[in-house]
Amino acid sequence: MSSLLPYTDTIISYTIAAVALPLVASLINFCLPVKSKLAGWVSTLAILLGCVFSAMVFAAVWDQQPQHVQTMWFTIGTTKIFAGILLNNLSVMMLLLVSLIALPVHIYSTAYMKYDDRYSRYFTYLSFFCFSMLGLVVVDSLVLFYAFWELVGFSSYLLIGFWFTKDKAVQANKKAFIMNRIGDIGLLSAIIILFAKFHTFDIATLFISDNLVFKSVIHDGLWISASGQIPAVWQYVACIGVFMAVAAKSAQFPLHTWLPDAMEGPTSVSALIHAATMVAAGVFLLGRVYPLFTDSELTVLAVIGCFTAFMAATIALTQNDLKRVLAYSTISQLGYMILAMGVGAYGSSLFHLATHAFFKCLLFLVAGVVIHEMQHIKEENDLDIDPQNIQYMGGLRKKLPLTFIVAVVGSLALIGIPLTSGYLSKDGILIQAFEWSEGRSAWLKLIPAGALFTSWLTAFYVSRLIVKVFFGEFRLLKKYPEIKLHISDGGWQYRVPLILLAVCSLFPLFSLNPFFYEKAWLFESLKPAEFMARENIYHTIIPIGVNILSVFVIYAAYAIYVKQNTFSFPQTGFFYRLSYNQWYLDKIYRKAIVKPILGLGKTCFWFDRNVIDGLIHLIERTSRMVASLTAWSDKHIVDGFLHLMAALVQSIGNFARKFQNGKVQYYLYSMLLIVLVLFILKILI
Amino acid sequence: MNLLTLLIFIPVLFALVIVLLPSSQRGSFKYITLLATLLQLGISIYIYINFKTGAASAGINHEDQFQFVQKLPWIGLNLGSMGKLQIDYFVGIDGISVTLLVMSALVMVVATLASWEIKSNLKGFFLLFLLLDMAVMGVFCALDFFLFYLFYELMLLPLYFLIGMWGGVRREYAAIKFFLYTLFGSVFMLLVMVGLYLSVNDPATGSHTFNIIQMMNPANYAPGSVFSAAAHQTILGVPARTVGFVVLFIAFAIKVPVVPLHTWLPDAHVEAPTPVSIILAGVLLKIGGYGIIRICLGIFPEIASSGAFWLGLVGVVSILYGACNALAQRDLKRMIAYSSVSHMGFVLLGIASQTAEGVSGAVMQMVSHGFLSSMLFFLVGVVYNRVHDRDIYHFRGLGTQMPQYTAFVMVGFFASLGLPGFSAFVAEAFTLAGTFKSPTVNGLLPYWMAICGSIGILLSAAYFLWTLQRMFFGKVSLKGGEVWKIALTDVSIREKLALIPMAAAALALGLMPSLVFGKINDSVLALIQFLQAK
Repeated sequence: MSSLLPYTDTIISYTIAAVALPLVASLINFCLPVKSKLAGWVSTLAILLGCVFSAMVFAAVWDQQPQHVQTMWFTIGTTKIFAGILLNNLSVMMLLLVSLIALPVHIYSTAYMKYDDRYSRYFTYLSFFCFSMLGLVVVDSLVLFYAFWELVGFSSYLLIGFWFTKDKAVQANKKAFIMNRIGDIGLLSAIIILFAKFHTFDIATLFISDNLVFKSVIHDGLWISASGQIPAVWQYVACIGVFMAVAAKSAQFPLHTWLPDAMEGPTSVSALIHAATMVAAGVFLLGRVYPLFTDSELTVLAVIGCFTAFMAATIALTQNDLKRVLAYSTISQLGYMILAMGVGAYGSSLFHLATHAFFKCLLFLVAGVVIHEMQHIKEENDLDIDPQNIQYMGGLRKKLPLTFIVAVVGSLALIGIPLTSGYLSKDGILIQAFEWSEGRSAWLKLIPAGALFTSWLTAFYVSRLIVKVFFGEFRLLKKYPEIKLHISDGGWQYRVPLILLAVCSLFPLFSLNPFFYEKAWLFESLKPAEFMARENIYHTIIPIGVNILSVFVIYAAYAIYVKQNTFSFPQTGFFYRLSYNQWYLDKIYRKAIVKPILGLGKTCFWFDRNVIDGLIHLIERTSRMVASLTAWSDKHIVDGFLHLMAALVQSIGNFARKFQNGKVQYYLYSMLLIVLVLFILKILI
Repeated sequence: MNLLTLLIFIPVLFALVIVLLPSSQRGSFKYITLLATLLQLGISIYIYINFKTGAASAGINHEDQFQFVQKLPWIGLNLGSMGKLQIDYFVGIDGISVTLLVMSALVMVVATLASWEIKSNLKGFFLLFLLLDMAVMGVFCALDFFLFYLFYELMLLPLYFLIGMWGGVRREYAAIKFFLYTLFGSVFMLLVMVGLYLSVNDPATGSHTFNIIQMMNPANYAPGSVFSAAAHQTILGVPARTVGFVVLFIAFAIKVPVVPLHTWLPDAHVEAPTPVSIILAGVLLKIGGYGIIRICLGIFPEIASSGAFWLGLVGVVSILYGACNALAQRDLKRMIAYSSVSHMGFVLLGIASQTAEGVSGAVMQMVSHGFLSSMLFFLVGVVYNRVHDRDIYHFRGLGTQMPQYTAFVMVGFFASLGLPGFSAFVAEAFTLAGTFKSPTVNGLLPYWMAICGSIGILLSAAYFLWTLQRMFFGKVSLKGGEVWKIALTDVSIREKLALIPMAAAALALGLMPSLVFGKINDSVLALIQFLQAK
């Protein structure tokens, strides 16, 4: 399984270097004083070198023979646990993608976090995140995969709660970790099931080279393979477990509610972790374990992906928090990726993952600039406003010209307008979804239809966001006419990452042909072997239909929010409230899950105190009662009998003593009496 | 001089020194104790390094495969027609005990460092401390049931006084409760021990014996004796061997502790002074798990198999019930005490699975929990010493007030909730893997137990993170106001010296599980084979 090409060792050591450098940076930063400005450069340098190494690894492995090396980690019983590196198209793509996205975010962060009191801690955590994420994509064993999977969640926990004196932030990171834990136990269960079934944790053996999972069959309620059989239900449980993990990390319904809250962290963190990389880990996991899913299980995935995409898009329509809109848009786009996996568009899903990473990271960094400037205005003028609320913004295109331009590029990519990368990847998903639904039941036709509809919703909420932030008049100025504005696009640490990411959000990086997604090199290498070339009508109709309508929707948004000359939406209806309150899911979870579990805890404790301890106390009281009873009987019965005997003896003695009083007449009298008594007795008896 | 004997009795030597020193020298007692425990740690590490692995030194039911053995005739009374009373001083270790020895020795050092807080009656405290130290080491090494029982009971006495005299407000209640619970278990254990003694003959001398290893061999049982497998004797209509197993299991289950025999633990922990809590959680609970593996499984393997479902069930119930209880606590120490119940449930589950992964995971969990629970109780002690309060609701924003302390707490909490990289993750993951494998390998446990066990991992995240958020994050707000603010200083050097080894050990075992698995593997495999052969 391990190929022995001559350059193997160098490639593997490059990979190790790319993964380990951020860890080293993290350790160095941990030892630095908390305010040291050196930390930023240590981390950035590490990720820059990591980027170079990743690029070399990518160049060597992409479209080549997969590489797999491993070494023994430990033995437990007779099971040997290996640790190793598995490089195939999927992992090297992720390796390069994560490093590429992390680099601009690092540069950006050096400026964004400049005035923070715990500057070096921030970079400690950020580098640690990069290490975990890069480790996650290259490891070859499910145990290690799980380990990095949790470490990614852990570093996200640290970063969401980076400003730990902020109550909302620490509530959010707790929620994020616990939600992710739900996914983790799903993944753990799935891994354990696979281990019990196939006796190995090796990803290559399970899914790639030997593909044991694919070769196993479900027959007669049993899940059968060469290594034995277990009830088929455990195949479903394993799939559910994997799905839970995917849903938690990639924020799919019903485990998505942590992601919007996670926006409490620094915006640069949101850009890297909660938009581009970590949340894509779920899709990556699906890519790794794809053969596990049967056709019907994939359909379920598609349904959930489609629903998530739709639901998140409807919520994004009404949110006023800049980052929250973007967060829901992330959830929606992740829904597309899961949907794509579900309809078998494996290549398109990963393609969308890659393109989305760039433009979503870009949009978040834009949001960071905007929020930073709003915060600046707020502090300078001592206002009491929420710097993330888009109701206060407007007309910023003149103040922040560069930010505006890159924001438009990012938004067009998110909507999927031609010439952007988003067009290429999203079109692929829509077209393949329609193809997939051919010949399936009418209900399943709702999936591509829903995805299509969602893409128009996307066009609307993205336009609303851009229009509200950058067009029209500056509403804050309207409200507080006296405030002074000193805002700009910021230094090169802001500009360079933005420009870099904006360029990457355009088509040339992925395809020289801006209109046909099949021509994108990334897609061509990841697509399944039996992929059909364009032969049906969908390939023409869908892109045209989507885009023409999108343009109308964009214009509508512009008209509504800038010109204000058309109708405005009612802000009282049921649908508005449903959307604004995020489908009430947080409330439902709190009432239906969190409270009962806390109640269960309280009940258990009550049970402990009153029933179990009550029993103990009852035993105690009973034995005390028995003891006092025996003490009483000891005192009154046993001792009483003894005392009685003593008293009896005493009284007899006293009585007999009376006869011995030394008077002769008395002796004679008593003798006479005894004789008389004897005589009488004798007569009587 | 046999190393194990030295290891066991070093504390006694130092205790003698303390006895002889006048009370005016009381300041030196803690250093003397520290020296004793450090010496012990050194010896145990030496033993660990020189411990031979390989199938030929697996131990379990082969007396000749035990290492560092010392066997001396101790009590030999000729009872005429009743035969000869044969009690040996018999110590030796195999893979199951060696890692626990090192863990206990390290925990003892930390407990000594935590004893700096003890201010009253120092002579008595350190005397009892060292006596306890001797007893726990003895339990892990003893291979003669009588000797084992002696050490086992000897632990009880110092603990009773340590809790009852140096404890908190309700110390007497807690001490009595602890004492009675454990005594209840061990009294019946005595009966079974005598029964076993009368059933087993030493093939060499022909007389009855307390040798645990000989009790594992069915051929050594006298025909027709009460615990002979062939005789099918009954006690009150129940097969005698089942009764024996259940009685021994209850005795050890109280120590583990297993729900519903656990309620002494929260009370004892809450009232005990920090060093005693550390020993209680770090070492004492492990004696329960160790006893189940060595004695219950060793002597009654066939009952352990037929009753595996029930063992696993109480394990799962402990995991979930302990975790639910921990969720409801507002006393930090009680919360950690209940989390111990939950984490020790994994030990039972792993043992019940009777797979190599499960049993190894269980031993790993014991070692890991030894380090982590000691660390957690030490951390509680840090805050309690400063302000004499540990109600979670009375603190907020300790992260700003005591940043280094909070960092240690985070390490402790995340390690305990099974963050990969730390030992608890390896232990729990493989315990569950073994449990899930059990139905296909030996059919002892149903599949769902592993899944239920994993919910415990989820709940542990909930209560630990809630505590972190409630107590350590947010803006500083303390019930005691400015007074507390001054009192709550960050961890001192001594405290760091105690905490760092624990954290490092947990991290080392998480990254290199072979530190434990490498030593225990052969013994675990031998045990599994022994259990399958029955």
